[in-house]
Amino acid sequence: MKRTMLTGAAALAATALTLTACSGGDDTGSGGEGDASNVDSISLAGWSLSTTPEFQVLADAYNEQNPDVTVELKEYDATEYDTQMVADLAAGSAPDMYVLKNLKNFVTYEDGGQLLDVSDVVSEIDGDLAGIDAYTVDGTTYAVPYRQDAWYLYYNKDLFDEAGVDYPDGSWTWDDYAENAEELSDALGGDALGTYQHSWQSTLQGFANAQDPEADVLSGNWEYLVPWYERVLELQENDAQMSFGAITTNSVTYQSQFGTQQAAMMPMGSWYVATLLAQQESGDAEEFDWGFAPAPQMDASTTETPVTFADPTGIGVNPAVDADTAAAAKDFLAFVASEDAATALAEIGITPAVTNEAVTETFFSIEGIPTDETSQFTFSTHEVLPENPVSADTATLQNILNDAHSEILSGGSSPEDAIADAMDRAQSEVLG
Amino acid sequence: MATAVDAPAAPTPPRRNRSRLTLRNTFIGWTFILPNFIGFAVLTLVPVIALFYIAFTSWNAFGQANWIGLENFSRLLTDGTFHTALFNTGYYAALHIPLTLAASLGLALLLNHKMRGIAFFRTVAFFPYITSIVAIAVVWNMLFSPDSGPINQFLMALGLDNPPGWTTSSTWAMPAVVLTSVWREMGYYMLLFLAGLQAIPRELYEAARVDGANAVQRFWNVTVPSLRPTTFFVTVILTIQSFKVLDLILVMTDGGPGTSTLVLAQYIYRKGFEENDFGYASAVAVVLFFICLGLTVVQFLLNKRKEV
Repeated sequence: MKRTMLTGAAALAATALTLTACSGGDDTGSGGEGDASNVDSISLAGWSLSTTPEFQVLADAYNEQNPDVTVELKEYDATEYDTQMVADLAAGSAPDMYVLKNLKNFVTYEDGGQLLDVSDVVSEIDGDLAGIDAYTVDGTTYAVPYRQDAWYLYYNKDLFDEAGVDYPDGSWTWDDYAENAEELSDALGGDALGTYQHSWQSTLQGFANAQDPEADVLSGNWEYLVPWYERVLELQENDAQMSFGAITTNSVTYQSQFGTQQAAMMPMGSWYVATLLAQQESGDAEEFDWGFAPAPQMDASTTETPVTFADPTGIGVNPAVDADTAAAAKDFLAFVASEDAATALAEIGITPAVTNEAVTETFFSIEGIPTDETSQFTFSTHEVLPENPVSADTATLQNILNDAHSEILSGGSSPEDAIADAMDRAQSEVLG
Repeated sequence: MATAVDAPAAPTPPRRNRSRLTLRNTFIGWTFILPNFIGFAVLTLVPVIALFYIAFTSWNAFGQANWIGLENFSRLLTDGTFHTALFNTGYYAALHIPLTLAASLGLALLLNHKMRGIAFFRTVAFFPYITSIVAIAVVWNMLFSPDSGPINQFLMALGLDNPPGWTTSSTWAMPAVVLTSVWREMGYYMLLFLAGLQAIPRELYEAARVDGANAVQRFWNVTVPSLRPTTFFVTVILTIQSFKVLDLILVMTDGGPGTSTLVLAQYIYRKGFEENDFGYASAVAVVLFFICLGLTVVQFLLNKRKEV
C-alpha cells in the first residue's frame, strides 16, 4: 500500500518535472519565479563521502532548519572529480548543485554555461564572505563559497623545544624561515629535518604568486620565481629539507612527515588541522605538542595581516534544473553562506568562508586543537588570495609551470634556465 | 541392401529448406558475435569516428563544437611541447621494442627446457604482468631512488662514484621507465614465444644436428626462421603498445622531471582532460593513430616481402 503510493507520487513528480522542464524552456536561469516549497529534495555532488564529512554536515544542518527538504548527496571520485563532473554535465545527468573543487576549473564550467547566475543569493548576504570575488565574472556571481582554506606554517613544539629554537610568532619572513629550518636541522642532528615542503607546485609557487608584488601568472613573465626556487634549493642542499627526488621516488606523504615527527615545520593548508587531530586520535600520527603560525612573509610589511593563499571551495547550481529546484538550490546556497553553516563546519575542523568570533570560538573548542595565541591569530587574521587566477589559460600555464617546478627541484636545470624555458613555452603555446 | 540404396536420396532437402538453414545458421552466428560487435561499435567505433570529427573543431566538452578546419593541425606544427612528446614517444619505442623482444625471447628459450619446477619459473616470469601497475611504479621508484635506492647502492658498491639519478634526472628518467616496462611486459611476450617455440617440429633440430650444426647455428637457422610468425606478431603488438604508453609513465614520473618523459598519450590526456581542449587533444590523438597505423602497415609489407 505504502509502496504503491510512493510509486504513484514518484510518477506524478516525474511527470510534473518533465512538464515544468518543457515549459520552463530557456528562462529557468532567470530565477525568482520558482517556488522552492514544491521541492522536497535537492541533490548535491561531493567526493569521497566517507572521509570528507563536510557535505553531509552541510546537508544535515540544512535539513535541521528545513525539515521538508532533503539534500541528497551524489558521490564522485576525488581525483577524477572534474572529469566526471564535466561528463555528467555534458550528458545531462549531473546533480542539481555541484561543488567547485578548485578555481582552476571554475572557468571551464562558467565559460561553458554550466553555472546558474546566483548573484541574487549573494546580494542578500550580510557580512563578509571570503572568496566570493573569485566566483564573480563581469559582475555576475556563479557560486557561493562555503569553505575558505588558507596555508599556514605548522610546527612541532616538542622538536622546537628540543632544538632550543623560538617558536614562529608571525613575524617571520621566508629568510627567517630558512635560517630557522637550518638551525633546527643542525640542532636535531638527524632525528628530524628542519622543515618539509611537499613536492606540489603550490608549496612554492602558491606563496610566490600570492605574496610577490611582481607576481602575475597570466602575464607569462615568471622571473620573480627564480629567488623563491633558489631558497628551496639551498634548503635541500643544506639538509634542512628532504630532497625533491627523495619525496617523489619514495612516494612520501606530508602527513607522515609531520605526523611522525620527521620534520619540525611544514607549510600546509588549513585542512591539515582536522587531519592531524584525527590521525593523532587514531594513532596514525604520534602524540606531540604542535601549533600553527601564519605563513612566512615576503618582507615585514605584511606581518600584521599576513598574506597567504588557497582557493575557496564553492557550490554552484546546475543550469539544467527547473525553476522550482533552482529556487530550492538558491535557498540552500543562502544557508551555506550563513553563520549556522559556518559553525557546523568549524565543529569538524573545516575553515568556513564565514569567519567571526563565534566561528573562531567553535573552531578552537575542538578537542586537542592548539589554543595558543599565535594559532588563534593565524586562524582569524589573514588575507587569503586565490591560488589561481580565473582565466581560460590558467590550466595550461599551470601545467607549464609544473614542468618547470619538477625540472628545477630535481636539479635538471638551474632556476634561471628552467624559468626562461617555461616563459618561452608560455609565449609560443599559449600567449603568443 | 534396400536401405543402402535409399540412403543417398534421403538427405537431399528441398532448396528452400537449405536457404532457410543457411539463414538460420547465419542468424545464430550473428547472435554469437553481436554482443561483442555492439560493444565494439558503441564503445570504440563511434568514439573513434567522433574523434576524427572533433579533431577539426574547437570544443571544451560543453555546447557546440566549432568547426575550425585544419587549425589544430597547423598548431601542432609549431607546438614545441608536442614535438618533445613526439620525440619522447619515439625514444621510448626505440628502446622498449628491441629490449622487450630480446628479453622475452631470452626468457622463453631459457624456460623451454625440461627441468624441475619449470611451471614455477614460468609463473614467476609472468607475475609482473598481472601485478597492479601502481604497485609496480611505487616499488620501482623506490628501487631507483637516487640516494637510498638498492639499485644505486649496488652500483656504488661496484665502484661507480656517480650513479645516475634515474627517475629524478631528465637524462635517466626515460631509461628507468623503459627498464621497468621491459621487466613488466617480458613475461607476457615470453608466453607467446614459448607457444611459438613449442610449435617448432623436433625433426628440424634433429636434422640440423645430423648435419653437424652447433647450438648457435641451430638457433639462427632453425629457431629464428621458425619463430618468424610469432616474432612478427609480437613486434606489431609491441610497437603499437609502445606508442600508446601512458599508465606506467603517468604513475611513475608524471611526464617529468620537466617534460623529459612526457609522451603523446599523456599529452592527449593533459590537453583533453586537464585543460579541456578536446579539439586539440583529438588532433594529437589522430596523429598518434596514423603513426600506429603507418608503422603497422610498413611492418605488414616488410613481412610480406620476406615471405615471398
